[in-house]
Amino acid sequence: MEYLQILFAPIFGGLIYGVERVVRARMQNRIGPPILQPFYDMYKLFGKEPFMVNNYHIVFALMHLLTLWIAVGLIILGENFLYVIFIHLLSSIFLVLAGYSVNSTYSHIGSNRELLSIVAYEPILILVAVGFYILNSSFDIDIIRAHSSQISLLFLLFLAFLLVIPIKLKKSPFDAAEAHQEIVGGIEVEFSGVFFEIVYMAKWIEYIFIYSILLLFAGDSFLYGSLLFFGVFLIVNLVDNSTARIKIENLLQITLTLGLLLGIVNLVFIGIGV
Amino acid sequence: MFEKYRKKSPWILHYNAGSCNGCDIEILACLSPKYDLERFGVINTGNPKQSDVFLVTGPVTYRSRERLVELYNQMPNPKVVVAVGSCTCTGGVFRGMYNVDDGIDRYIPVDVYIPGCAASPELIMDGVVKGLEILETKQKAGDDK
Repeated sequence: MEYLQILFAPIFGGLIYGVERVVRARMQNRIGPPILQPFYDMYKLFGKEPFMVNNYHIVFALMHLLTLWIAVGLIILGENFLYVIFIHLLSSIFLVLAGYSVNSTYSHIGSNRELLSIVAYEPILILVAVGFYILNSSFDIDIIRAHSSQISLLFLLFLAFLLVIPIKLKKSPFDAAEAHQEIVGGIEVEFSGVFFEIVYMAKWIEYIFIYSILLLFAGDSFLYGSLLFFGVFLIVNLVDNSTARIKIENLLQITLTLGLLLGIVNLVFIGIGV
Repeated sequence: MFEKYRKKSPWILHYNAGSCNGCDIEILACLSPKYDLERFGVINTGNPKQSDVFLVTGPVTYRSRERLVELYNQMPNPKVVVAVGSCTCTGGVFRGMYNVDDGIDRYIPVDVYIPGCAASPELIMDGVVKGLEILETKQKAGDDK
C-alpha cells in the first residue's frame, strides 16, 4: 500500500497542481483550465522536439527528481524526519547544480536565488524537526504520526512553516527564485521538451513533500489533517493571488528574522514546559 | 487514443517586433479574466524553449528582425506562428517606411494572420484556436516522418 502511494505520488501532486490552477482562476473570476491540465502539458511535452544543452544539465535534473522522490518516499514510509530534510536539501542542491551547468545568465541568477532561498527555509525546517523531537523524543515520522495533533503546542513553529510553503512551491510573495516574468523561470529556463518534463514532475512531487510535512502537524487525526490541508491550501493561493513578488534580500530578512524568531520562541516555550 | 489531448496545452511566446503596443495590450486582455485564454490551457511562458505558439506583433523593424528569427529557431518543433495585427501581416500603416520590413512573413513562415489595428481580443482568440488545429496537423505530420 505504501509503495503504491510512493509510486503514485507524482500523480497526486499533478492533481493538486491542477486543482490549484482552477482555484486560482476562480479567485480571479476566471473559468480556468481543466483539472487534468498538468497531464495534458506532460503529454504535449512528450511530442516536442528534444533540445539538450549538455549532459550534466539533464543528469542533475534527473538526480533532483530521484532524490526528491526518495524524500517523499521516506516520509510515506515513516522514516527519520531529519534524514528526509537532508535528502530534500540534497535534491535542491542538484537542481542548483543543473542551473549552474549551462551557460545562461537567467539560469545562473535562478541558481543563485535558489541557493539563497535554501538558506532562508532550511533553518525553519530543522527547527520544525527539533520541535517534534522535543515533544515525541524521536525524529521518526511514524511516531510523530502516531501521536495526537500537537499543533497547539507547536503553533508558532506552524506559523514559521507557513512562511516556507510559498518559498518551496514558488508562490508570491516568495517566488523570487523562479520569477516567471522577471528571469523567465530561473533554473528551468534552458529545459525543453521531454527534459522540461523532469523538472515539471519534480515540481508536483514538491507539492506532496510540503503538504505531507504540513500533515505531520495534524498527528493521527484525519479530520484535523484534511482541515489543515484545505485551509492552508486556500490561504497560500489567496496570498499568492493578492500579493506582489518581494526581492530575495527581503525574503531572507523575513524568514531569518520573523521565521527563526517564531521557531526559537516556540522551542524555548516547549522546552520550559517539558 | 490520446491524440486529441495534444492540442490542449498550447504555451505562448509573445514577441513585440516594433509594435505600437496596441496589439500587445489586446493580447494581455485575452489572458485577463474577461476573455480568459487560460481555459484552453494557454500559458504565457515567455520562454521560447518551452513554447508552441509564437505570437508576434508589430511590423518587423531592422533592430528586431535578428531576434525574431533567433526566437523562432529556439522554439522546438512542432510550432505555430501567429501574426497579430495588420502591421505584422503586411506592414500596415508603416508599409514602405525606411526602418521597417513589411510583415514578418519575409523572415519566418506564418501559419495564421490576424488582421485589425489593433486586433480585437475575440479575433486573437479565434486565431490562436485556429492555430491549434494547424499545430495538430503539424504534430501528425511530424509523427508520420
